[in-house]
Amino acid sequence: MLEIKDLHVEVDGKQILQGLDLTVPKGEVHAIMGPNGSGKSTLSYVIAGKEDYEVTQGSILWNGQDLAEMEPDERAASGVFLAFQYPMEIPGVATMTFLRTAMNALRKARNEKELTTPDFIKIVRGKAAELQIDPDMLKRPLNVGFSGGEKKRMEILQMALLEPNLCILDETDSGLDIDALRIVSEGVNLLRNEGRAMLVITHYQRLLDYIVPDKVHVLSKGKIARSGGKELAQELEQSGYAGYEDAAA
Amino acid sequence: MNIMSQNIRTDAEQSLLDAFKTVQGKLPGCSKMQAMRSQAIAQFEQAGLPHRRVEDWKYTDLRTRMKTAYPVTAQSAQAVTSQQIQQALGPLAGLEANTMLFVNGHYQEALSDMDALGEGIEVLSLTAAFDQTPDWFASELGRVALFHDNDTITTLNTAFASDGAAIRISDKVEMDKLLHLIFVSAGEHDKLNTTRYLVSAGDDAKFTMLETHITVGDAKAQNNSVCELIVGANAKVAHIKCQLETEVNTHLSTWMVRLGERSNYRAFQMSTGAELARNQIFVRFQGEHAFANISGVFLGQNQQHNDTTLIVDHAVPNCSSQEMFKVVLSDAARGVFQGKLEVKPIAQKTDAKQMAQALLLSEQAEFDAKPELEIFADDVVCGHGATSGQIDEDLLFYLRARGISEGEAKSLLIAAFIGEVLEAVEDAPIQEALSGIAQNWLREI
Repeated sequence: MLEIKDLHVEVDGKQILQGLDLTVPKGEVHAIMGPNGSGKSTLSYVIAGKEDYEVTQGSILWNGQDLAEMEPDERAASGVFLAFQYPMEIPGVATMTFLRTAMNALRKARNEKELTTPDFIKIVRGKAAELQIDPDMLKRPLNVGFSGGEKKRMEILQMALLEPNLCILDETDSGLDIDALRIVSEGVNLLRNEGRAMLVITHYQRLLDYIVPDKVHVLSKGKIARSGGKELAQELEQSGYAGYEDAAA
Repeated sequence: MNIMSQNIRTDAEQSLLDAFKTVQGKLPGCSKMQAMRSQAIAQFEQAGLPHRRVEDWKYTDLRTRMKTAYPVTAQSAQAVTSQQIQQALGPLAGLEANTMLFVNGHYQEALSDMDALGEGIEVLSLTAAFDQTPDWFASELGRVALFHDNDTITTLNTAFASDGAAIRISDKVEMDKLLHLIFVSAGEHDKLNTTRYLVSAGDDAKFTMLETHITVGDAKAQNNSVCELIVGANAKVAHIKCQLETEVNTHLSTWMVRLGERSNYRAFQMSTGAELARNQIFVRFQGEHAFANISGVFLGQNQQHNDTTLIVDHAVPNCSSQEMFKVVLSDAARGVFQGKLEVKPIAQKTDAKQMAQALLLSEQAEFDAKPELEIFADDVVCGHGATSGQIDEDLLFYLRARGISEGEAKSLLIAAFIGEVLEAVEDAPIQEALSGIAQNWLREI
């Protein structure tokens, strides 16, 4: 279970999150919606442990562990995964080398044996096929020359391979056409299960037609302004964020 | 009023002049070579060691840094085992090659292996070449070096060269095996080793040559190595250097290259060794439609200082050159890159690009880049750039967010930075061996 209590976060001296409370039980998918600048991405970065995102008050507990005290790789080892809004291009790092290094790092943290080369290739090829990822993409340097949709699919492939149990999807729908959105959403839905908590961050309701959330929260001025069921997303689609932006101003 | 300024001779300069008197009679060479030696030492007597007020040596004050000159070894009496050599070669040991091995500046036939040279390839030690004086050797000796006859390092090399190689690849000959020249500094006593090799590649010749510098033992060495290379028309030459000396050595190296019409020259230099290294690469295009790729990487740590000074002289039209140098510096290491592109007035349609990039891993590391363009033709495409930066924090976070430890993530990113330039080495086994050396280095820092 993810339990965020009274979270205050500062970035470059600026207060972004100002007393955010949020609980996501295992097995549930929660959506975070909100206007631009409300702190959605800050929330995802602070859970994953990005440098310069300073928790000044409150706590982020994941299965009882205080994430704020942990290094980003330790958080990953404890099951946290952030699907980036803007996945990084890393020239010179082969995609397969990266995937293998990451998978083995997590296995090592769990005291499991490293994957053999044939096993590794088999697993990657299988999951890549499910996400309709062209095998040629896997031969390129990580994300280099990938289209926006390809990058997002690569994020979901990593999620499928690393098998985290807290998945944060930061604007995964941005830059996706309707086909890519469907493929990515199906990939995410395949990973939904009893043991996994998911936080889906989005500006638009569209993604939530595909990944149907258990709860929807509206983030405004660094706090959860309102929570509700999946119908709240539809309401926002019609009324917009106007009222919440006022609240933020 | 004129004021004549006279430098006071340093201990090192005086020792070199004294040493020349002692060893002069023992050094090999025909009368032409002896005359060149005498002329060279006279020139050195005038100029002395280069210092920071000499523009080309602004960042590498050799006169201050080379406080003493070690004794010159007229003869090699040092026993080195092939096991010690294999160990020092590391990942390069596995390369299949014809090898020519030198210990403290002297050719070692017993440790060399040149059984499979093939037709049309002549490889002699410099001493043997002076004895036999093949025609091509007599006519080419010193001709390439004269391009930069004011260069003190080459001048000293001419004066003191104790041995080396003379290599001729005949027209149309393709060497299928790598030619590997291994220069070993060995023993318990500090010494000054001077070697020189001359390579003449005939028209349409094709070959790959690797020059490796290693150390066996704890003594310090001051090594001065010069290569003169003449590339014939339409010839294709891959020329690679790997410098792995111990961190107490001074390594002075000069390549002087003359490129013929439609020739293709790929040069690469990797350095991880020596306390002080100066790598000079002087390339002149002499025939049209030739191509050169000159690249390299320096991996530095502790107090290492590595200077790569490059001059690419586009003396004729229609040639293209590409240069890419990368530097990774940890601790208080210092990297220097001076790259000059000269385009002569007649050299229209020149296409020349140069890039130098440094990755600084510590606050104390320093990179000095001095790119220069001297363009006297008006219809050319020339460009240069230099960058210096740290490991990208966003990339690091991305990798760490996937569970990769900070150390491993940094290694991946540094290896990626290095890997980009290693791609300039087309020979797969050599590229793999150099990559292995980089991996070993990454484990050390």
